[in-house]
Amino acid sequence: MTAPAASQPRLSHRLRHEALRVLFHIYGAAGYLFFYLPIIILVIFSFNDSRSVSQWAGFSWRWYEAMLQDRQIMLALWNSVFVAVVSTAIATVLGTLAAMALERYRRFPGRLFADITLYLPIIIPDIAMAIMLLAFFNLSGIGLHVWKVNFFGVRLAVPFSVIIGHVAFNISFVAVVVQARLAQMDRTLEEAAQDLYANPWRTFWRVTLPLMMPGVLGGALLAFTLSLDDFVITFFTSGAGFNTLPVRVFGMIRKGVTPKINAVSSLMLGFSLLLVTLALLAARGRDERNVRLF
Amino acid sequence: MVETSVPAVELRDVVKRFAEVIAVNHVSLKIAPGEFFALLGPSGSGKTTTLRMIGGFELPTEGEVFIEGEPQGYKPPYQRPVNTVFQNYALFPHMTVAQNIAFGLEMRGVPREEIRRRVGEMLELVRLSGYERRRPHQLSGGEQQRVALARALINRPKVLLLDEPLGALDLKLRKAMQLELKTIQEQVGITFIYVTHDQEEAITMADRIAVMNRGRVLQVGTPQEVYEHPENLFVADFIGDTNFIPVQVQQVGDGVQVLTVSGAVLLAHWGEPTLNAGSEAMMAVRPERMRLHRPEEVPQQEGWNAVEGIIRHVIYHGLDIRYEVHLAGGTTLHVRMPVGQGETRFQRGEHVVVSWPHAAARVFRSES
Repeated sequence: MTAPAASQPRLSHRLRHEALRVLFHIYGAAGYLFFYLPIIILVIFSFNDSRSVSQWAGFSWRWYEAMLQDRQIMLALWNSVFVAVVSTAIATVLGTLAAMALERYRRFPGRLFADITLYLPIIIPDIAMAIMLLAFFNLSGIGLHVWKVNFFGVRLAVPFSVIIGHVAFNISFVAVVVQARLAQMDRTLEEAAQDLYANPWRTFWRVTLPLMMPGVLGGALLAFTLSLDDFVITFFTSGAGFNTLPVRVFGMIRKGVTPKINAVSSLMLGFSLLLVTLALLAARGRDERNVRLF
Repeated sequence: MVETSVPAVELRDVVKRFAEVIAVNHVSLKIAPGEFFALLGPSGSGKTTTLRMIGGFELPTEGEVFIEGEPQGYKPPYQRPVNTVFQNYALFPHMTVAQNIAFGLEMRGVPREEIRRRVGEMLELVRLSGYERRRPHQLSGGEQQRVALARALINRPKVLLLDEPLGALDLKLRKAMQLELKTIQEQVGITFIYVTHDQEEAITMADRIAVMNRGRVLQVGTPQEVYEHPENLFVADFIGDTNFIPVQVQQVGDGVQVLTVSGAVLLAHWGEPTLNAGSEAMMAVRPERMRLHRPEEVPQQEGWNAVEGIIRHVIYHGLDIRYEVHLAGGTTLHVRMPVGQGETRFQRGEHVVVSWPHAAARVFRSES
């Protein structure tokens, strides 16, 4: 065999390989475009100097200004943040405790049942969860009333039912994230602390909690984001006159789409992106410092 | 060892069951104050479980653990006057070296000033001064090991428990750390209980060794005792190199007379007490206690055994030459002869006579 004859099939093999590579890239780019083009258009048109959401008329901040001046939107934003903060705080504590219990006590009667009930809110559709919660609030007599509380001179509207609803699904997400972190934690570290005269309480505060903190933080940020973005469960569990931002936006859309909605959506998008980034950094940043040599 | 003093640690008929498995099976031990005591055995022998019961990480199913004469009962680890060096060191990754070492004193409420001083002393002892602010992941394996040691020793425990502390280090570092550990132990005078599966490590470091297998303690003694006078087949096999010759017991009296497969009659000064005439047994002889001779040059010595064989391999080892000798009947013997002046060298394929003193031979019950 001569050299050129031998290199012939190799060349065509290379070409085919190249072609496949290019095709994969195009496929990947198309996928991204499919997901993100609508979002990009939404953000662009939130700066549109026109009432139209389909024709570009130059750059402007006017819809953002209009948004800031809309008292209804600002109140809804405040409600969203309030519900998110309170429900995240409660869900983080409960979810972390649940994760610790499941990680620590691997075998107990009803373990499977505990697993299923904990993961259920992640799996079932929001609408099913929402209807269940609504039924629960009605049957239990808790109702959907918004509690008016005077908190050191600040008048707060506490939507009891909405907060419980958010806690109910957020516990699961926090528990899953924290459990993943606990699973890769070295349990002899807790034994070492106990060996060094730390009772279980101090072992928890000095060793266990600091080591699972990235998971707790990540879970909390995830819960916060989910709470801010939730529509279905909030819509079903909020009484008359109480709006979170997503619910408010839904109400506005029924009267017609304006670029003001684009501005609100862009703001929420930006905020969510920031939180997700923080959650990822929290989960990862600590890990690099904790790399162990064995 | 002062026999009359209270043992630093005593295990009295301790049993540990995990569900169906018996991890530790009726173990009784007395460990003297200041002793370097090794728990030696293969994995699954129960040595780590035994250590964990002393530390309080496991509670005995039966029996009792005493520390300085005091029964430990259900005491949790943080109430026991012992500290542990864990197999993987278990250094707190979110704390600096100094914070790691200070942890025990801090938990016991020792004043800040004293903690600082003692951390400094400890770092000096383990030769890590200047490493205060480093974090565990910035240290080498040997350095982490020394931090773990300092973190335990700073509490001045009555007893230090070490669970294969050198297991993760490479051979060279291991050797250096063995010496260092031994030196530190002599310096601080604390009782060390040292778990290892490495018989060489146990022999070079320990004052006394407990050889464990399948949850039982098979023999307790000084390194010399367990090496030279193993009391059962497992200990003879596990510690050092040993030749085993399958035999049948002919007579038990002052010593033991046995018959090999090929019909040779051999004598041993010591046999396991449970041996009877007619029982299947193993004669054990260390390779360095055997001698080789040309058939025509066999000296007529009182008190020596002799068997014939053929040399199959000759391996030069520098300090000694190792011969592999096949006996009639299929037994292979390893013989170690020092390389010195005037020693006869043998060739592969040569017919030889292997001899060893009756005193160097021990006969054990063969067991499955």
